[in-house]
Amino acid sequence: MINPVIQREFYGILRSPKAMAVLLCLTVAFSIAVLMRWPSDSSVDLSGKQSLEVFRVFGYGLLAGVVFLVPAFPATSVVNEKNQGTLALLFNSPLNAFSIYFGKISGVLLFSLLVLLCSLPASAACYAMGGIDLKSELGLLYVILALLVIQYATLGMLVSSYVQSADAGVRITYTAVLAMFFLTLLPAAFFPGAGGLLSTVTGWLRNVSPIPAVMEIMGHSGVGTAGLKIASTTSQFVGFTLVSSFVFAAITISRFNYRIFDRSKAKGVITQDRGLVARSLRRLVYIVDPQRRKPGIPWYLNPVMVKEFRCRKFGRLQWLLRLVAVCAVASVAVTFAAATSATSWGVETIGGLMVLLQVILVVVLTPSLASGLISGERDGSGWALLRLTPLSSFKIVRGKVLSVVWTLGLVLMATLPGYLIMILIQPVMWLQVNFVLICLVWTAIEALAVSAAVGSLFRSTAISTTATYVAVITLFLAPVLVWLGRDAPFGHDTVEMALLVTPVGAALSVIGAPGFENYDLLPASWWVAGIISTVMFMVLGVQVWRLTRAV
Amino acid sequence: MSSSETVVETKGLTKRYDNFTALDSLTMRVGKGEILGFIGPNGAGKTTTIKILVGLSKPTSGTATIAGADCLSESRKIKRLVGYMPDDFGTYNNMRVCEYLDFFGAAYGIGRRARVKRIGEVLDITGATYMHDLYVDALSRGMQQRVAIARTLMHDPQVLILDEPANGLDPQARIDMRVMLLRLSEMGKTLIVTSHILPELARICNVVAMITKGKLRAFGTLDEIMRDVQQRRTFEVMLLDETQVDRVGETVGRWLQERSGDVNAGAAEVTCAKTEMMVRFSTHLNDREVAPLLSHLIGQGETVVQFREVATDLEDAFLSVANAGDRSDTESANPPESETIGSLKTGANA
Repeated sequence: MINPVIQREFYGILRSPKAMAVLLCLTVAFSIAVLMRWPSDSSVDLSGKQSLEVFRVFGYGLLAGVVFLVPAFPATSVVNEKNQGTLALLFNSPLNAFSIYFGKISGVLLFSLLVLLCSLPASAACYAMGGIDLKSELGLLYVILALLVIQYATLGMLVSSYVQSADAGVRITYTAVLAMFFLTLLPAAFFPGAGGLLSTVTGWLRNVSPIPAVMEIMGHSGVGTAGLKIASTTSQFVGFTLVSSFVFAAITISRFNYRIFDRSKAKGVITQDRGLVARSLRRLVYIVDPQRRKPGIPWYLNPVMVKEFRCRKFGRLQWLLRLVAVCAVASVAVTFAAATSATSWGVETIGGLMVLLQVILVVVLTPSLASGLISGERDGSGWALLRLTPLSSFKIVRGKVLSVVWTLGLVLMATLPGYLIMILIQPVMWLQVNFVLICLVWTAIEALAVSAAVGSLFRSTAISTTATYVAVITLFLAPVLVWLGRDAPFGHDTVEMALLVTPVGAALSVIGAPGFENYDLLPASWWVAGIISTVMFMVLGVQVWRLTRAV
Repeated sequence: MSSSETVVETKGLTKRYDNFTALDSLTMRVGKGEILGFIGPNGAGKTTTIKILVGLSKPTSGTATIAGADCLSESRKIKRLVGYMPDDFGTYNNMRVCEYLDFFGAAYGIGRRARVKRIGEVLDITGATYMHDLYVDALSRGMQQRVAIARTLMHDPQVLILDEPANGLDPQARIDMRVMLLRLSEMGKTLIVTSHILPELARICNVVAMITKGKLRAFGTLDEIMRDVQQRRTFEVMLLDETQVDRVGETVGRWLQERSGDVNAGAAEVTCAKTEMMVRFSTHLNDREVAPLLSHLIGQGETVVQFREVATDLEDAFLSVANAGDRSDTESANPPESETIGSLKTGANA
């Protein structure tokens, strides 16, 4: 007899209109990608170059699709059941922990399989064009994607078993996925050919990300892949993915018992009420002690802004200060390390890496902070209560947006020391650095506007967080995908147009990062960012007006 | 119903969503310091009424005022006048109780010093002083409910609107809540309380509004509603000896027959319970008309231990009103508004 949990999970996902929309959109997107490069003339491309171009766009698109879509479902799977009380019912049934886990993850994996199946017509078309090997290219790509699906599904379930809300599950899972996807590449990029243990460690760490393995299959090399493509990345990636998936699954299954519910409520101990030693120790450890009794909100601060800081775990000042400190140290370390151990890179490469680091931070952080500004209130009765206060809707939204602006502002400013060192190394770059900083500010504004607007369209916090992550990552990653296909299949003008969507391309172009030097993106990129941000803030405004009027 | 100063008043309040009428010409008024129990099944229109009163929804027709301020056009005044507690309390995670109250105090524009003092006061009123530094999301439902009521009191509103405040509370927490609401009423606050737990409402409310399918079925004090609702009142005569039961039963039957003029009335209305040494009878006669029966029995030489009316509780009354209203709706597809309500309503509508 089929595991009842599989039936419920899989049918549950399939019944969701969103899942149907996702499958439909993916099928259409893959078909369009292939159609765009389908040969229109009568001559035969015997070299297979054209099909490889299509295959590259298709492959990276599919990889991006897996990264965007797969984590959302397992990230909420356990925590939703726990909060609804149905997990307790399952534990009370004769099903054992493994059956429950297997049932739940099978539902997610079956849906992910459907996502991959949707791409089969497009991949078959690629194959039909010739020049692509069925086993070593097409087949291997699907094997890697399948393993990635398993890894992200097990990771999402693990996170979901620890968190207390679906929203937190989505946020932490996407952050972990993006860290494994991007951040693991950076050490190898910073210390290429360092030799010895460091090289081995960075090489292994790099292969945690699927990007090098997929690039190996695509035969991609050259500009933009410096430090990423080293021989035999696929086997290391496969090994790591299998081991990590197994570990994630084992930990999650071990939590499928009383431990998942056994959580004491916060005691709410106040530092002022503690002993002298504890008070002194906390004074040393914390610049801003989260356990200290807070004074009232002063008249000159927007109360909603203060509330936003206070009611977010990762929003309280001590976390922000830690983040800023990490950013400051990291930016200085990156500049220093690159300047001392990889001098052949030049300041441009260092600058490019710093821009990318900061963009990744903004992309990870902004949806997490801004997606729930409105939906977080609507999920409970908070929105109704805010409407009943004398605060105007403008003041409410301003307070909420400001709480994110301050955070992003601090994060952006934290990397200033790195840029200062860069100017010290090469003083003529000060104008370029200024332009880059303006681009980064626009990047943060655009990410904030898109996150706040998209997040406000949904009532459920978990759905709004997922939708926001997908929207922001698409906005920032899609131009990079197009850029990866520069010259073939995309021409210079197409890539330039794509890079205009966000100011990231402009920042990289201004700093002279390899592969971006030939694009003239300023000031058009600022205008585009301004227009997109304005439109998004208008969407947010209209949505808030719609939600605050009495109907 | 008492004739105190009117604080909350609705006139012909109607709310339609396309073809669905959520609220149908609701007219009622609540005086200062009164506790209105707003009773109705799920989907009856209680929350719709509350939303209109607090300015979160716009009526299709009719008016609603609180202390003379129109709920729709004078929303700024209404916000100061009303404290609203929704069904799920509206709490925030990761905030301490004092921070939570501080935020709402600041949102209502209360100065920093006054806010600190006010937080102490409202926590004292709600018996939640010890929760000052605890995290709101770590509190039990009963404790969260106290904090939520404290929140509604922060700006010292005239009217408190509480949606299902007793929902999910344990017996002790319900008793505490009841005491707290009575205390607020004594402080001169006007309360509108919705609840499914009717015995709870019966103990604290001095005015009751019963609503089903968007229509006000009954409105008035509990006594007035009982009187309107009850077609026949039930009385019990407790006797000293088992041998009296049949004899007294016959006497009561004859007496009722003579009074009502109905030859079949007596036999049908009197029940004799020998083991309980009791005679029970129901009648449409009022107190003045029934009182001579006791004298009559004593005059007959019967020893009567107790002569009392069997109380009909709010649940019985509500079911009776709801069923009568539903029957009336079924009989006439489009009954005239005033007739449907007018047949039952008392007090403000009478």
